[in-house]
Amino acid sequence: MSPPEDTSQPRLAAGCRWGGTEEARVILFPEGAIKLQGTGRQVLERCDGQRTFGEIIVELQSQFADADPAKIRADISQFLEQLRHKRIVDY
Amino acid sequence: MTPNPLALIAEITHRCPLHCVYCSNPLEMAAASSELSTEKWIDVFQQAGNLGMLHAHLTGGEPLARPDLTELIAGARAAGLYTNLITSGIGLAEMRLKALVDAGLDHIQVSFQDSREDSANWIAGAKAHAHKIELSQLIRRHKIAFTVNLVIHRQNIDHLDEMISFIEQLGPERMEIANTQYYGWALKNRAALLPTRLQLDKAMEAVAAAEKRLDGRIRVDFVVPDYYARLPKACMGGWGRRLMLINPAGKVLPCHAAEVIPGLQFENVREQSLENIWQHSPSFQRFRGEEWMPEPCRSCDQRTQDFGGCRCQALLLTGNVEATDPACTLAPAHHIVEAALAEANSTTAVSQPTSASSFVQLQRAENLWTYRTNPD
Repeated sequence: MSPPEDTSQPRLAAGCRWGGTEEARVILFPEGAIKLQGTGRQVLERCDGQRTFGEIIVELQSQFADADPAKIRADISQFLEQLRHKRIVDY
Repeated sequence: MTPNPLALIAEITHRCPLHCVYCSNPLEMAAASSELSTEKWIDVFQQAGNLGMLHAHLTGGEPLARPDLTELIAGARAAGLYTNLITSGIGLAEMRLKALVDAGLDHIQVSFQDSREDSANWIAGAKAHAHKIELSQLIRRHKIAFTVNLVIHRQNIDHLDEMISFIEQLGPERMEIANTQYYGWALKNRAALLPTRLQLDKAMEAVAAAEKRLDGRIRVDFVVPDYYARLPKACMGGWGRRLMLINPAGKVLPCHAAEVIPGLQFENVREQSLENIWQHSPSFQRFRGEEWMPEPCRSCDQRTQDFGGCRCQALLLTGNVEATDPACTLAPAHHIVEAALAEANSTTAVSQPTSASSFVQLQRAENLWTYRTNPD
Protein backbone atom coordinates (compact mmCIF):
# COMPACT_ATOMS: atom_id res chain seq x y z
CA MET A 1 0.00 0.00 0.00
CA SER A 2 1.32 3.45 -0.88
CA PRO A 3 0.87 6.81 0.90
CA PRO A 4 -1.56 9.41 -0.53
CA GLU A 5 -0.40 11.48 -3.49
CA ASP A 6 -1.01 15.21 -3.86
CA THR A 7 -3.87 14.53 -6.26
CA SER A 8 -5.52 11.83 -4.06
CA GLN A 9 -8.95 12.77 -2.73
CA PRO A 10 -9.22 11.21 0.73
CA ARG A 11 -12.69 10.29 1.99
CA LEU A 12 -14.26 8.08 4.62
CA ALA A 13 -14.53 4.46 3.43
CA ALA A 14 -17.97 2.93 2.77
CA GLY A 15 -19.95 2.50 5.97
CA CYS A 16 -17.71 4.77 8.08
CA ARG A 17 -19.31 7.95 9.36
CA TRP A 18 -19.25 10.69 11.97
CA GLY A 19 -21.11 10.20 15.24
CA GLY A 20 -21.06 11.32 18.86
CA THR A 21 -21.71 14.86 20.00
CA GLU A 22 -20.25 18.19 18.86
CA GLU A 23 -17.93 18.19 21.91
CA ALA A 24 -16.94 14.56 21.52
CA ARG A 25 -16.95 13.67 17.84
CA VAL A 26 -16.16 10.10 16.85
CA ILE A 27 -15.75 8.20 13.61
CA LEU A 28 -17.89 5.08 13.70
CA PHE A 29 -16.80 2.05 11.72
CA PRO A 30 -17.79 -1.63 11.74
CA GLU A 31 -15.61 -2.84 14.61
CA GLY A 32 -15.48 0.27 16.75
CA ALA A 33 -15.07 4.01 16.99
CA ILE A 34 -12.22 6.48 17.29
CA LYS A 35 -12.44 9.71 19.24
CA LEU A 36 -11.13 12.63 17.26
CA GLN A 37 -9.80 15.78 18.83
CA GLY A 38 -7.64 18.66 17.68
CA THR A 39 -5.65 18.17 14.52
CA GLY A 40 -6.89 14.63 13.83
CA ARG A 41 -10.42 15.96 13.67
CA GLN A 42 -9.32 18.90 11.51
CA VAL A 43 -7.72 16.53 9.04
CA LEU A 44 -10.63 14.11 8.80
CA GLU A 45 -13.22 16.88 8.50
CA ARG A 46 -11.40 17.87 5.32
CA CYS A 47 -11.44 14.33 3.92
CA ASP A 48 -14.64 14.96 1.98
CA GLY A 49 -13.71 13.30 -1.30
CA GLN A 50 -13.54 16.77 -2.91
CA ARG A 51 -10.39 18.31 -1.53
CA THR A 52 -7.11 16.79 -2.68
CA PHE A 53 -4.42 15.64 -0.28
CA GLY A 54 -2.29 18.54 -1.55
CA GLU A 55 -5.04 21.06 -0.73
CA ILE A 56 -5.59 19.63 2.73
CA ILE A 57 -1.87 19.93 3.46
CA VAL A 58 -1.77 23.56 2.33
CA GLU A 59 -4.82 24.44 4.44
CA LEU A 60 -3.35 22.92 7.56
CA GLN A 61 0.12 24.32 6.93
CA SER A 62 -1.33 27.83 6.81
CA GLN A 63 -3.49 27.20 9.86
CA PHE A 64 -0.51 25.93 11.87
CA ALA A 65 2.05 28.37 10.49
CA ASP A 66 4.32 27.91 13.50
CA ALA A 67 4.86 24.22 12.87
CA ASP A 68 7.36 22.71 10.44
CA PRO A 69 5.45 22.31 7.11
CA ALA A 70 7.42 19.18 6.19
CA LYS A 71 6.47 17.57 9.48
CA ILE A 72 2.78 18.47 8.97
CA ARG A 73 2.87 16.78 5.58
CA ALA A 74 4.63 13.67 6.88
CA ASP A 75 2.31 13.35 9.89
CA ILE A 76 -0.89 13.70 7.90
CA SER A 77 0.34 11.29 5.27
CA GLN A 78 1.11 8.70 7.91
CA PHE A 79 -2.20 9.30 9.69
CA LEU A 80 -4.20 8.70 6.50
CA GLU A 81 -2.16 5.66 5.59
CA GLN A 82 -2.89 4.10 8.99
CA LEU A 83 -6.60 4.78 8.60
CA ARG A 84 -6.61 3.26 5.14
CA HIS A 85 -4.91 0.18 6.51
CA LYS A 86 -7.88 -0.15 8.89
CA ARG A 87 -10.31 0.51 6.01
CA ILE A 88 -11.66 3.68 7.60
CA VAL A 89 -10.32 6.01 4.89
CA ASP A 90 -9.94 5.60 1.14
CA TYR A 91 -7.82 7.74 -1.17
CA MET B 1 -20.23 3.19 38.74
CA THR B 2 -19.31 0.75 36.00
CA PRO B 3 -18.27 2.46 32.75
CA ASN B 4 -20.92 2.36 30.02
CA PRO B 5 -21.17 -0.64 27.73
CA LEU B 6 -20.02 -0.02 24.16
CA ALA B 7 -22.21 -2.25 22.05
CA LEU B 8 -25.45 -4.17 22.02
CA ILE B 9 -25.73 -7.59 20.44
CA ALA B 10 -29.38 -8.05 19.50
CA GLU B 11 -30.25 -11.68 18.79
CA ILE B 12 -33.62 -10.78 17.36
CA THR B 13 -34.66 -14.35 16.54
CA HIS B 14 -33.24 -17.86 16.81
CA ARG B 15 -35.09 -19.00 13.70
CA CYS B 16 -32.72 -19.72 10.81
CA PRO B 17 -32.92 -21.42 7.41
CA LEU B 18 -29.33 -22.67 7.85
CA HIS B 19 -28.18 -25.44 10.17
CA CYS B 20 -24.47 -24.69 10.52
CA VAL B 21 -22.71 -27.28 12.61
CA TYR B 22 -20.79 -24.65 14.63
CA CYS B 23 -23.65 -22.20 15.26
CA SER B 24 -22.98 -19.88 18.22
CA ASN B 25 -26.59 -20.04 19.38
CA PRO B 26 -27.28 -22.05 22.53
CA LEU B 27 -28.51 -25.63 22.22
CA GLU B 28 -31.70 -24.51 23.95
CA MET B 29 -33.08 -21.80 21.73
CA ALA B 30 -35.76 -19.19 22.34
CA ALA B 31 -39.12 -20.16 20.81
CA ALA B 32 -40.59 -18.02 18.06
CA SER B 33 -43.61 -17.31 20.26
CA SER B 34 -41.39 -15.76 22.96
CA GLU B 35 -39.79 -13.14 20.68
CA LEU B 36 -39.86 -9.45 21.65
CA SER B 37 -42.19 -7.15 19.73
CA THR B 38 -41.06 -4.50 17.26
CA GLU B 39 -41.95 -1.76 19.75
CA LYS B 40 -39.96 -3.37 22.56
CA TRP B 41 -36.84 -3.73 20.41
CA ILE B 42 -37.08 -0.09 19.33
CA ASP B 43 -37.41 0.91 22.99
CA VAL B 44 -34.35 -1.22 23.83
CA PHE B 45 -32.29 0.50 21.10
CA GLN B 46 -33.34 3.86 22.49
CA GLN B 47 -32.19 2.79 25.96
CA ALA B 48 -28.91 1.56 24.50
CA GLY B 49 -28.29 4.90 22.79
CA ASN B 50 -29.08 6.77 26.01
CA LEU B 51 -26.70 4.51 27.89
CA GLY B 52 -23.88 5.66 25.58
CA MET B 53 -23.59 2.53 23.47
CA LEU B 54 -22.26 3.14 19.96
CA HIS B 55 -23.03 -0.02 18.00
CA ALA B 56 -26.02 -2.31 17.54
CA HIS B 57 -25.21 -5.71 16.04
CA LEU B 58 -28.41 -7.31 14.78
CA THR B 59 -27.97 -11.02 14.58
CA GLY B 60 -29.85 -14.28 15.09
CA GLY B 61 -30.59 -17.01 14.08
CA GLU B 62 -31.24 -15.25 10.84
CA PRO B 63 -32.36 -11.66 11.48
CA LEU B 64 -34.04 -11.55 8.06
CA ALA B 65 -36.56 -14.07 9.40
CA ARG B 66 -38.16 -11.09 11.17
CA PRO B 67 -40.45 -9.23 8.73
CA ASP B 68 -39.99 -6.04 10.78
CA LEU B 69 -36.19 -5.92 10.31
CA THR B 70 -36.32 -2.65 8.35
CA GLU B 71 -38.21 -0.97 11.21
CA LEU B 72 -35.70 -2.35 13.71
CA ILE B 73 -32.74 -0.96 11.73
CA ALA B 74 -34.49 2.41 11.49
CA GLY B 75 -35.15 2.31 15.24
CA ALA B 76 -31.53 1.52 16.07
CA ARG B 77 -30.28 4.24 13.76
CA ALA B 78 -32.73 6.78 15.21
CA ALA B 79 -31.28 5.96 18.64
CA GLY B 80 -27.89 7.12 17.34
CA LEU B 81 -26.43 3.63 17.00
CA TYR B 82 -24.14 2.37 14.25
CA THR B 83 -26.11 -0.50 12.74
CA ASN B 84 -24.58 -3.81 11.76
CA LEU B 85 -26.53 -6.68 10.25
CA ILE B 86 -24.98 -10.13 10.70
CA THR B 87 -26.67 -12.43 8.22
CA SER B 88 -26.56 -15.48 6.00
CA GLY B 89 -28.30 -13.38 3.37
CA ILE B 90 -31.11 -15.89 2.95
CA GLY B 91 -34.29 -13.86 2.57
CA LEU B 92 -32.55 -10.82 1.13
CA ALA B 93 -33.13 -9.61 -2.43
CA GLU B 94 -32.80 -6.26 -4.16
CA MET B 95 -35.91 -4.47 -2.81
CA ARG B 96 -35.42 -5.42 0.79
CA LEU B 97 -31.72 -4.60 0.74
CA LYS B 98 -32.52 -1.14 -0.59
CA ALA B 99 -35.14 -0.67 2.13
CA LEU B 100 -32.60 -1.65 4.80
CA VAL B 101 -30.00 0.75 3.42
CA ASP B 102 -32.59 3.54 3.23
CA ALA B 103 -33.52 2.80 6.84
CA GLY B 104 -29.91 3.53 7.84
CA LEU B 105 -28.04 0.24 7.69
CA ASP B 106 -24.33 1.03 8.05
CA HIS B 107 -22.67 -2.37 7.71
CA ILE B 108 -23.61 -5.82 6.51
CA GLN B 109 -21.68 -8.93 7.43
CA VAL B 110 -22.43 -11.97 5.31
CA SER B 111 -21.25 -15.39 6.37
CA PHE B 112 -19.88 -17.91 3.89
CA GLN B 113 -19.26 -21.54 4.83
CA ASP B 114 -16.73 -22.33 2.09
CA SER B 115 -15.65 -21.28 -1.42
CA ARG B 116 -16.80 -24.62 -2.84
CA GLU B 117 -20.52 -24.93 -3.27
CA ASP B 118 -20.90 -28.59 -2.30
CA SER B 119 -18.89 -28.18 0.83
CA ALA B 120 -20.53 -24.87 1.80
CA ASN B 121 -24.01 -26.37 1.53
CA TRP B 122 -22.88 -29.46 3.40
CA ILE B 123 -21.59 -27.38 6.34
CA ALA B 124 -24.68 -25.15 6.38
CA GLY B 125 -27.07 -28.08 5.92
CA ALA B 126 -28.86 -25.97 3.33
CA LYS B 127 -28.49 -24.82 -0.27
CA ALA B 128 -27.44 -21.27 0.43
CA HIS B 129 -24.11 -20.71 -1.29
CA ALA B 130 -25.20 -19.55 -4.76
CA HIS B 131 -27.62 -17.01 -3.31
CA LYS B 132 -24.89 -15.51 -1.12
CA ILE B 133 -22.73 -14.85 -4.19
CA GLU B 134 -25.60 -13.09 -5.97
CA LEU B 135 -26.34 -11.07 -2.87
CA SER B 136 -22.71 -9.94 -2.54
CA GLN B 137 -22.93 -8.39 -6.00
CA LEU B 138 -26.08 -6.49 -4.99
CA ILE B 139 -24.47 -5.26 -1.77
CA ARG B 140 -21.60 -3.68 -3.68
CA ARG B 141 -24.05 -1.35 -5.41
CA HIS B 142 -24.70 0.37 -2.08
CA LYS B 143 -22.43 2.60 -0.03
CA ILE B 144 -22.42 0.51 3.11
CA ALA B 145 -19.55 -1.35 4.70
CA PHE B 146 -19.38 -5.00 3.62
CA THR B 147 -17.66 -7.74 5.58
CA VAL B 148 -17.44 -11.38 4.57
CA ASN B 149 -17.18 -13.78 7.45
CA LEU B 150 -15.81 -17.26 7.03
CA VAL B 151 -15.62 -19.82 9.81
CA ILE B 152 -12.70 -22.19 9.35
CA HIS B 153 -12.27 -25.68 10.78
CA ARG B 154 -10.91 -29.13 10.03
CA GLN B 155 -13.19 -29.70 7.03
CA ASN B 156 -12.38 -26.56 5.03
CA ILE B 157 -9.12 -25.11 6.40
CA ASP B 158 -6.91 -27.00 3.92
CA HIS B 159 -8.00 -24.76 1.05
CA LEU B 160 -7.94 -21.44 2.91
CA ASP B 161 -5.89 -19.86 0.08
CA GLU B 162 -8.67 -20.68 -2.34
CA MET B 163 -11.31 -19.34 0.06
CA ILE B 164 -9.42 -16.06 0.53
CA SER B 165 -9.21 -15.57 -3.27
CA PHE B 166 -12.92 -16.33 -3.48
CA ILE B 167 -13.74 -13.67 -0.86
CA GLU B 168 -11.43 -11.19 -2.56
CA GLN B 169 -13.55 -11.45 -5.71
CA LEU B 170 -16.66 -10.54 -3.73
CA GLY B 171 -15.02 -7.16 -3.06
CA PRO B 172 -15.67 -6.52 0.65
CA GLU B 173 -13.82 -3.95 2.78
CA ARG B 174 -13.15 -6.66 5.34
CA MET B 175 -12.84 -10.37 5.65
CA GLU B 176 -13.09 -12.09 8.97
CA ILE B 177 -11.45 -15.49 9.04
CA ALA B 178 -12.67 -16.99 12.27
CA ASN B 179 -11.56 -20.25 13.78
CA THR B 180 -14.43 -22.15 15.31
CA GLN B 181 -15.10 -21.41 18.97
CA TYR B 182 -16.20 -24.47 20.88
CA TYR B 183 -19.49 -23.76 22.61
CA GLY B 184 -22.97 -25.14 22.02
CA TRP B 185 -23.25 -26.76 18.62
CA ALA B 186 -19.53 -26.51 17.86
CA LEU B 187 -18.59 -28.22 21.12
CA LYS B 188 -20.99 -31.03 20.27
CA ASN B 189 -19.26 -31.34 16.88
CA ARG B 190 -15.74 -30.62 18.06
CA ALA B 191 -14.12 -33.86 16.90
CA ALA B 192 -15.19 -33.11 13.32
CA LEU B 193 -14.16 -29.45 13.52
CA LEU B 194 -10.92 -29.11 15.48
CA PRO B 195 -8.03 -28.75 13.01
CA THR B 196 -4.63 -30.37 13.32
CA ARG B 197 -1.55 -28.33 14.25
CA LEU B 198 -0.25 -28.74 10.72
CA GLN B 199 -3.51 -27.51 9.19
CA LEU B 200 -3.43 -24.48 11.47
CA ASP B 201 0.19 -23.59 10.71
CA LYS B 202 -0.54 -23.61 6.99
CA ALA B 203 -3.64 -21.48 7.54
CA MET B 204 -1.69 -18.88 9.52
CA GLU B 205 0.78 -18.60 6.64
CA ALA B 206 -2.08 -18.09 4.19
CA VAL B 207 -3.56 -15.35 6.38
CA ALA B 208 -0.23 -13.56 6.81
CA ALA B 209 0.34 -13.57 3.04
CA ALA B 210 -3.21 -12.31 2.39
CA GLU B 211 -2.86 -9.49 4.93
CA LYS B 212 0.22 -8.28 3.13
CA ARG B 213 -1.19 -8.63 -0.36
CA LEU B 214 -4.57 -7.03 0.39
CA ASP B 215 -3.31 -4.20 2.63
CA GLY B 216 -5.25 -0.98 2.02
CA ARG B 217 -7.89 -2.82 -0.01
CA ILE B 218 -9.35 -5.54 2.21
CA ARG B 219 -8.75 -5.67 5.92
CA VAL B 220 -8.15 -9.22 7.13
CA ASP B 221 -9.26 -9.99 10.67
CA PHE B 222 -8.18 -13.37 11.99
CA VAL B 223 -9.82 -14.93 15.01
CA VAL B 224 -7.25 -17.22 16.63
CA PRO B 225 -8.18 -20.72 17.74
CA ASP B 226 -7.86 -20.57 21.49
CA TYR B 227 -7.21 -24.30 21.92
CA TYR B 228 -3.87 -23.75 20.16
CA ALA B 229 -3.06 -20.44 21.86
CA ARG B 230 -0.66 -19.99 24.77
CA LEU B 231 -2.99 -17.63 26.62
CA PRO B 232 -6.79 -17.52 26.67
CA LYS B 233 -8.90 -14.98 24.82
CA ALA B 234 -10.39 -11.96 26.59
CA CYS B 235 -13.86 -13.31 25.92
CA MET B 236 -16.29 -10.48 24.98
CA GLY B 237 -13.59 -8.02 26.11
CA GLY B 238 -14.19 -9.23 29.65
CA TRP B 239 -17.37 -10.31 31.42
CA GLY B 240 -19.78 -7.39 31.77
CA ARG B 241 -17.16 -4.86 30.67
CA ARG B 242 -18.10 -3.84 27.14
CA LEU B 243 -21.08 -5.71 25.73
CA MET B 244 -24.66 -6.66 26.44
CA LEU B 245 -26.43 -9.41 24.52
CA ILE B 246 -30.19 -9.61 24.37
CA ASN B 247 -31.69 -12.90 23.31
CA PRO B 248 -34.89 -13.16 21.23
CA ALA B 249 -37.05 -13.43 24.34
CA GLY B 250 -35.54 -10.31 25.94
CA LYS B 251 -33.14 -11.98 28.35
CA VAL B 252 -30.00 -9.89 28.90
CA LEU B 253 -26.72 -11.82 28.90
CA PRO B 254 -23.01 -10.92 29.14
CA CYS B 255 -22.25 -13.29 26.22
CA HIS B 256 -23.76 -15.76 23.74
CA ALA B 257 -23.28 -18.83 25.90
CA ALA B 258 -23.83 -17.49 29.43
CA GLU B 259 -27.08 -19.39 29.93
CA VAL B 260 -25.10 -22.63 30.33
CA ILE B 261 -23.83 -21.37 33.69
CA PRO B 262 -25.99 -22.80 36.46
CA GLY B 263 -27.11 -20.56 39.30
CA LEU B 264 -27.11 -17.32 37.33
CA GLN B 265 -30.43 -15.52 36.88
CA PHE B 266 -30.70 -13.27 33.86
CA GLU B 267 -32.98 -10.24 33.87
CA ASN B 268 -35.36 -9.43 31.04
CA VAL B 269 -35.83 -6.11 29.21
CA ARG B 270 -39.57 -6.65 29.59
CA GLU B 271 -39.16 -6.06 33.33
CA GLN B 272 -36.06 -3.93 33.87
CA SER B 273 -34.20 -1.13 32.14
CA LEU B 274 -30.90 -1.85 30.40
CA GLU B 275 -29.16 0.66 32.63
CA ASN B 276 -30.42 -1.01 35.77
CA ILE B 277 -29.33 -4.41 34.51
CA TRP B 278 -25.89 -3.13 33.49
CA GLN B 279 -25.28 -1.45 36.85
CA HIS B 280 -26.97 -3.82 39.27
CA SER B 281 -27.56 -7.30 37.79
CA PRO B 282 -25.86 -9.86 40.07
CA SER B 283 -25.11 -11.94 36.96
CA PHE B 284 -23.28 -9.07 35.25
CA GLN B 285 -21.38 -8.37 38.46
CA ARG B 286 -20.52 -12.01 39.08
CA PHE B 287 -17.21 -12.01 37.15
CA ARG B 288 -16.44 -8.30 36.98
CA GLY B 289 -13.15 -7.29 38.55
CA GLU B 290 -10.70 -9.75 40.07
CA GLU B 291 -12.34 -10.81 43.33
CA TRP B 292 -13.65 -14.08 41.94
CA MET B 293 -10.34 -15.15 40.38
CA PRO B 294 -8.51 -18.28 41.51
CA GLU B 295 -4.78 -18.80 41.23
CA PRO B 296 -2.88 -18.73 38.90
CA CYS B 297 -5.04 -15.86 37.49
CA ARG B 298 -5.15 -13.78 40.65
CA SER B 299 -1.40 -13.14 40.72
CA CYS B 300 -0.83 -13.31 36.95
CA ASP B 301 0.33 -10.26 34.96
CA GLN B 302 -2.07 -11.22 32.18
CA ARG B 303 -5.20 -10.88 34.31
CA THR B 304 -5.84 -7.32 33.14
CA GLN B 305 -5.54 -8.46 29.52
CA ASP B 306 -7.52 -11.71 29.40
CA PHE B 307 -9.59 -11.39 32.61
CA GLY B 308 -9.02 -15.07 33.34
CA GLY B 309 -10.35 -16.15 29.94
CA CYS B 310 -13.82 -17.40 29.19
CA ARG B 311 -16.19 -18.40 32.02
CA CYS B 312 -18.44 -20.49 29.79
CA GLN B 313 -15.49 -22.45 28.43
CA ALA B 314 -14.20 -23.00 31.97
CA LEU B 315 -17.56 -24.40 32.98
CA LEU B 316 -18.12 -26.50 29.87
CA LEU B 317 -14.69 -28.14 30.04
CA THR B 318 -14.02 -28.40 33.79
CA GLY B 319 -17.45 -28.17 35.41
CA ASN B 320 -16.13 -25.30 37.56
CA VAL B 321 -17.19 -21.85 36.40
CA GLU B 322 -14.45 -20.15 38.43
CA ALA B 323 -11.60 -22.21 37.03
CA THR B 324 -8.88 -20.60 34.93
CA ASP B 325 -9.88 -21.04 31.29
CA PRO B 326 -8.37 -24.42 30.30
CA ALA B 327 -7.23 -22.88 27.00
CA CYS B 328 -4.52 -21.16 29.07
CA THR B 329 -1.25 -23.10 29.19
CA LEU B 330 -0.93 -22.04 32.85
CA ALA B 331 -4.34 -23.44 33.81
CA PRO B 332 -4.44 -26.44 36.16
CA ALA B 333 -7.02 -27.99 33.79
CA HIS B 334 -5.06 -27.34 30.58
CA HIS B 335 -4.67 -31.11 30.19
CA ILE B 336 -8.33 -31.21 29.05
CA VAL B 337 -7.51 -29.05 26.05
CA GLU B 338 -4.29 -30.98 25.45
CA ALA B 339 -6.27 -34.22 25.34
CA ALA B 340 -8.64 -32.79 22.71
CA LEU B 341 -5.64 -31.63 20.67
CA ALA B 342 -3.93 -35.00 20.96
CA GLU B 343 -7.04 -36.66 19.58
CA ALA B 344 -7.36 -34.12 16.77
CA ASN B 345 -3.74 -34.65 15.78
CA SER B 346 -3.84 -38.43 15.87
CA THR B 347 -6.48 -38.88 13.17
CA THR B 348 -6.75 -37.55 9.64
CA ALA B 349 -10.46 -37.84 8.97
CA VAL B 350 -11.48 -35.11 6.59
CA SER B 351 -14.86 -35.86 5.10
CA GLN B 352 -15.40 -33.09 2.61
CA PRO B 353 -17.90 -33.97 -0.12
CA THR B 354 -16.80 -34.33 -3.69
CA SER B 355 -19.12 -33.21 -6.45
CA ALA B 356 -20.13 -36.84 -6.82
CA SER B 357 -21.66 -36.95 -3.35
CA SER B 358 -24.08 -34.17 -2.54
CA PHE B 359 -24.33 -32.83 0.97
CA VAL B 360 -27.74 -34.44 1.33
CA GLN B 361 -26.27 -37.88 0.64
CA LEU B 362 -23.43 -37.23 3.03
CA GLN B 363 -25.79 -36.09 5.73
CA ARG B 364 -27.59 -39.41 5.51
CA ALA B 365 -24.53 -41.56 5.07
CA GLU B 366 -22.43 -40.27 7.91
CA ASN B 367 -22.72 -39.47 11.56
CA LEU B 368 -19.88 -36.98 11.34
CA TRP B 369 -21.78 -34.17 13.01
CA THR B 370 -25.07 -32.87 14.31
CA TYR B 371 -26.81 -30.10 12.44
CA ARG B 372 -28.21 -27.13 14.33
CA THR B 373 -31.95 -27.51 14.77
CA ASN B 374 -34.58 -24.78 14.84
CA PRO B 375 -36.51 -23.43 17.84
CA ASP B 376 -40.20 -24.28 18.29
